[in-house]
Amino acid sequence: MTPSTTRVADATAASAAGGDERLAYRGVFARILVRPEIGAAIAAVSIWIFFWAVSVPFGLTSGAASILDVSATLGIMAVAVSMLMIGGEFDLSAGAATGAFGIITLLLVRDVTGEMGGAGLSLWFALPLSFLLAMGLGLFNGTLVNKTSLPSFIVTLASFFILVGSKLGFAKLLVDQIQVGKMNDLAIFSEDRASDKGYAFFNRIFAAEWERNLHQWDSRDAFYTFGVVAGLTLLVIALYELRFRRKETQNMLGLGVCLAGIVLGLVGIFNLHNTRGTQGDVVGAGFIGFGILVGFIGLAMWRYESLNDRGGLTLTADASRPLILGLVALAASFIAARYFDSQNSEDIFFMVTEQGLRAILFVGLGATAAVFLLISSSRAGYTSQTARSAVLMLTALLVAATAFFIRAESVTPKFRTQVLAVMLVLAALMATWAVTTLLFAERRSPDDKAERLGRTLVIVGSSLAVMGVVARMLFVVQAEIDAGAPPSKFSVRILWFLGFTAACAWVLARTKFGSWTFAVGGNKQASRQIGVPAERTKTQLFMLVAGAAWLVGTLLAFRLNTIQASTGDGLEFEFIIAAVVGGTMLTGGYGSAIGAAIGAIIMAMAKQGIPSSRWNSDWRFVFLGVILLLAVIANDFIRSKAEAAR
Amino acid sequence: MTDKPVLELNNIGKFYGNIIALKGVTTEVLAGKVTCVLGDNGAGKSTFIKILAGVHQHDEGEFLLEGEEVRFNSPREALNKGIAAVYQDLAMVPLMSVWRNFFLGSEPTKGVWPIEWIDKPKAKAIAKAEMAKMGIDIRDTEQPVGTLSGGERQSVAIARAVYFGAKVLILDEPTSALGVRQSGVVLRYIVEAAKRGLGVIFITHNPAHAYPVGDRFLILNRGESMGNFAKSEITQSELTQLMAGGAELEQLQHELEAAMARD
Amino acid sequence: MKKLKGLLALLFAFTLFAAACGDTSDEADDPTTTAGDDSAETTEAMEDDGDEGEAPETTEADVDLTQGGDLTFHMITHSDDGPFWSVVKKGAEAAAADVGVTLVWMPGNNDPGKMVTDIATAIGEGSNGIAASLPSPDQLIGPLQDAVAAGIPVYTINSGVNDYQTIGATSHVGQTEFIAGQGAGLRFNDAGATHVLCGRQEQSNVGLTERCNGLKDTFTGTVTDEFVGLDADQTEQINGIKALMEASPDIDGFLGVGPVIAMSGLTASQDLGRDVVVGGFDITPEIIDAIEAGDVAFTVDQQQYLQGYLPVVLMFLEATNQNTAGGGLPILTGPGFVTPENAGAVKELVAAGTR
Repeated sequence: MTPSTTRVADATAASAAGGDERLAYRGVFARILVRPEIGAAIAAVSIWIFFWAVSVPFGLTSGAASILDVSATLGIMAVAVSMLMIGGEFDLSAGAATGAFGIITLLLVRDVTGEMGGAGLSLWFALPLSFLLAMGLGLFNGTLVNKTSLPSFIVTLASFFILVGSKLGFAKLLVDQIQVGKMNDLAIFSEDRASDKGYAFFNRIFAAEWERNLHQWDSRDAFYTFGVVAGLTLLVIALYELRFRRKETQNMLGLGVCLAGIVLGLVGIFNLHNTRGTQGDVVGAGFIGFGILVGFIGLAMWRYESLNDRGGLTLTADASRPLILGLVALAASFIAARYFDSQNSEDIFFMVTEQGLRAILFVGLGATAAVFLLISSSRAGYTSQTARSAVLMLTALLVAATAFFIRAESVTPKFRTQVLAVMLVLAALMATWAVTTLLFAERRSPDDKAERLGRTLVIVGSSLAVMGVVARMLFVVQAEIDAGAPPSKFSVRILWFLGFTAACAWVLARTKFGSWTFAVGGNKQASRQIGVPAERTKTQLFMLVAGAAWLVGTLLAFRLNTIQASTGDGLEFEFIIAAVVGGTMLTGGYGSAIGAAIGAIIMAMAKQGIPSSRWNSDWRFVFLGVILLLAVIANDFIRSKAEAAR
Repeated sequence: MTDKPVLELNNIGKFYGNIIALKGVTTEVLAGKVTCVLGDNGAGKSTFIKILAGVHQHDEGEFLLEGEEVRFNSPREALNKGIAAVYQDLAMVPLMSVWRNFFLGSEPTKGVWPIEWIDKPKAKAIAKAEMAKMGIDIRDTEQPVGTLSGGERQSVAIARAVYFGAKVLILDEPTSALGVRQSGVVLRYIVEAAKRGLGVIFITHNPAHAYPVGDRFLILNRGESMGNFAKSEITQSELTQLMAGGAELEQLQHELEAAMARD
Repeated sequence: MKKLKGLLALLFAFTLFAAACGDTSDEADDPTTTAGDDSAETTEAMEDDGDEGEAPETTEADVDLTQGGDLTFHMITHSDDGPFWSVVKKGAEAAAADVGVTLVWMPGNNDPGKMVTDIATAIGEGSNGIAASLPSPDQLIGPLQDAVAAGIPVYTINSGVNDYQTIGATSHVGQTEFIAGQGAGLRFNDAGATHVLCGRQEQSNVGLTERCNGLKDTFTGTVTDEFVGLDADQTEQINGIKALMEASPDIDGFLGVGPVIAMSGLTASQDLGRDVVVGGFDITPEIIDAIEAGDVAFTVDQQQYLQGYLPVVLMFLEATNQNTAGGGLPILTGPGFVTPENAGAVKELVAAGTR
């Protein structure tokens, strides 16, 4: 990420433009990226890249399906729990409650075996009834916390024990088992009974699955490529629109240059396509890179004012120190990669193979180098745009060099083609940014029209890119079938997860209830004085968590058909951890639903990544702990940086 | 503005069991005027404010709002009747943005229940405009209140009370935690609020802050009223003396002088 | 209402069963007798799988039933009266009814302290035989040695295979996890598997690790032994197994060392569309259904009914006939296997509460 330049000398420029002279106008990246979730998102992407690199199944579509499957139920609970935590309370009964409501639903629909059997209700009654019971649990927890003024940690710990005990007790009393089954028996009944009690209907709602291998779409890759390329292009245009100052009159010559760049890029893409990309065709890549550069310069020529005062090519000590450190780190990473043997998988230290050490050193030093170089470029920008662009350009060249170095040093096609392509595109974009920011003037005052257009483009661009990726995940092409694509199933649970997260995020950001949630968690006294119904808000939050537990319990009942009495016990801390990894504060009053969802995905990735990489499961919790610790630290660090940029 | 008081208290008293928290307090608040309530720690100021704001109820005496006898069961009820209290340290939720704090508990919404959402652009615009009217220039209403200075925080609360149509504004020690300059800023907002037609009750233990802005002074000591004066009836030094319980302060003064003489 | 229906069904089943066997017992209304008859079935089922440990059964018919009328045996276990121990209890009660002795069932509910007092009580009451489980040997060896010193025949059951000789007990009736794992290994050999994933649902449970170690001992191919997630989070368990199976494409066998994780392994292999031989441990209705449907190859059964039934009979024989079975070695009650061949029969027995 290119850091924004902070400006001291800008005050005059801004006031001349009619803005608020005290409002230091934030850089384009700060404006787009400063969100509470950004730290968690960056941590998630890093972890994904890490496991993608070290394991085979993790990066496959089936791996993604597994990650989403694990994160779905965890995430629904994490989001609900994070809302409760924002409201300043904890619910330790949340984990046990998931299993409890699954069991209750099953007991309500069963009417066979066991000492007393079940109630034998139709799902149409059983589901609303167990939902009512869930609301009752939330009401109970909330009322108890409000009435006793005891810490919710203690009150809900009691509920937790009660739930754990009654799950086992009732299961054994009613069906004489430590588990309650089976949901899919209802479907069997439909043969000799008039109705399947709604099983077929609800099974579609709660457990429908999309089998990728059954959905072939041969123009998928074209759509994917279009989506990603068009999406990225729009994102870059959005950056331009948000960053540069518009011209009074447009320069049509620029449009021509822009078109030329597009043509160059397309030639490159076709070239790559025809060589199937497996050779890492340098000619095609070169065309694309050059096309990107020319196209965006043309675009800028067409619309934006050029920069007059560029400053000289002088580096302050502030900027040169990280530059030197960055170069040293990069050199060290190259040396490490050459020095250690990539084929040696024997332990040289405790648990670390030479292969592994090499990878760790190379990636770690490389990433450090990138961070130092970017810091240097940002600091250089305080005094001179020329220096800033020069350092950024150098960084771009080094990224490209590293890409080729990786290709030369590695044997797997994953690193030879995919990494090369991504890094070259990144280098081209950085170089383009270096050149254009040198040539064109930055807009340092709000411009509502440009701002709106920019933001719209960001949304459209990211949607296009996401659609491309989703299409690639959901559909299979003939070539993959021929190669024996592993089956990947995407469950409707993922949609529940996404929907629930979106709803909670909206509620937090846009509704009264959301405001009140932040308020009662941030300062209960103050919010009560001002007329916020603090007790009611808290009770409703407890009910939200219980409702989420009901949803998860129902999803599990349809997924697993049989629910163990122990289901969910002990998971309450995972929900809290996911929420905290996602940036929710333990003390209440701050957090985000989307962050908690990302936190759940991070946890799911860590859990899936460990077996995918075939790491010894005896050390599993050590790995898990380290990953989560790193994620939290990264999140906190990035967020504090981002907030400081406000 | 008429001379009829917005709020009138006659011999208000409050007991906790056999402990007398407040007794025989009489004062009035006129629209557009500032009534200062002075007293040392433990003088009964907080009981007084809690009765006015509806947190507690009075046990004896008359509480008249615009000539009608009232008794509030909750802060919300008092707020609805136009009595807004701004507490010294409890006024704001520090991690929440300025505009959310401004509209907390009374958010403007769009849509129909259950799909209701806050009209955010409107809320932000109003918050900024209302603060500007009070002479407070907030850079960005999205910034957390915690990043504001103490005086600015008080001023957000005052602007909020004014906007939501408060007739009476109660300020609980708004200057006690502030430096000299910040206190001055807050005092200016108090005058500003009074100018806009509100009856202001300014609770403080600092006569130097009270005297310049006050029109009427109620002095409390150990739960009892030590007097209720118009500005014309009392000087600042008299005020200071009364506040600390007159004779006691004189005694203290003598002791201090004696101690100084010894050195 | 439900209870009545259940009883009626049981009565009906019993009548049918009795008719089929041609046995007209005069104690038709006593449920324990029903269970006792079922135990014969159990033994047959076990013999199908041809394993050690059922020698004493043959002596049963030679004994004069009237001799033991005034004998009282105590069964002191750490039972929590859960599904597992209720089967043990049924076995013990059936044996007591069969040989005509009084049985005192003393469940310790995982509290060794209560077991210590129970043992003292039994000694005080002049017990004719004590069968005890040994969940925490350090606390229980002493009291049981006292019982032996008092001349009471002692058997350890379920747990205590390492300590029964120290105590001076006649023998131990139970199963060892290692041997159970070995049995599973042989099954995978027969099924032609080459690489078995031994999935554990707990990370540091000695018993579960022993099962995997037994598998490694007899299985001729590769064994991968991993913890894959708790039973409390089956979603994670399923996906963890999937990840391991995808990381090692040659895995063609899965042993879940519990019934829930075995079902998770089945779901994972089905999701991946892989042809995997799945084996499990212990019995639940779900896994038996899956075995019946042919999805799961087998589950290892501890046959805990025997752990209740055999000690009573052995103590009876020791008291009345001075027989000491086992020859100083433990008497193994397992592993028995539930396979597609006997799953149907076992299912009925599970419903009757004897498996």
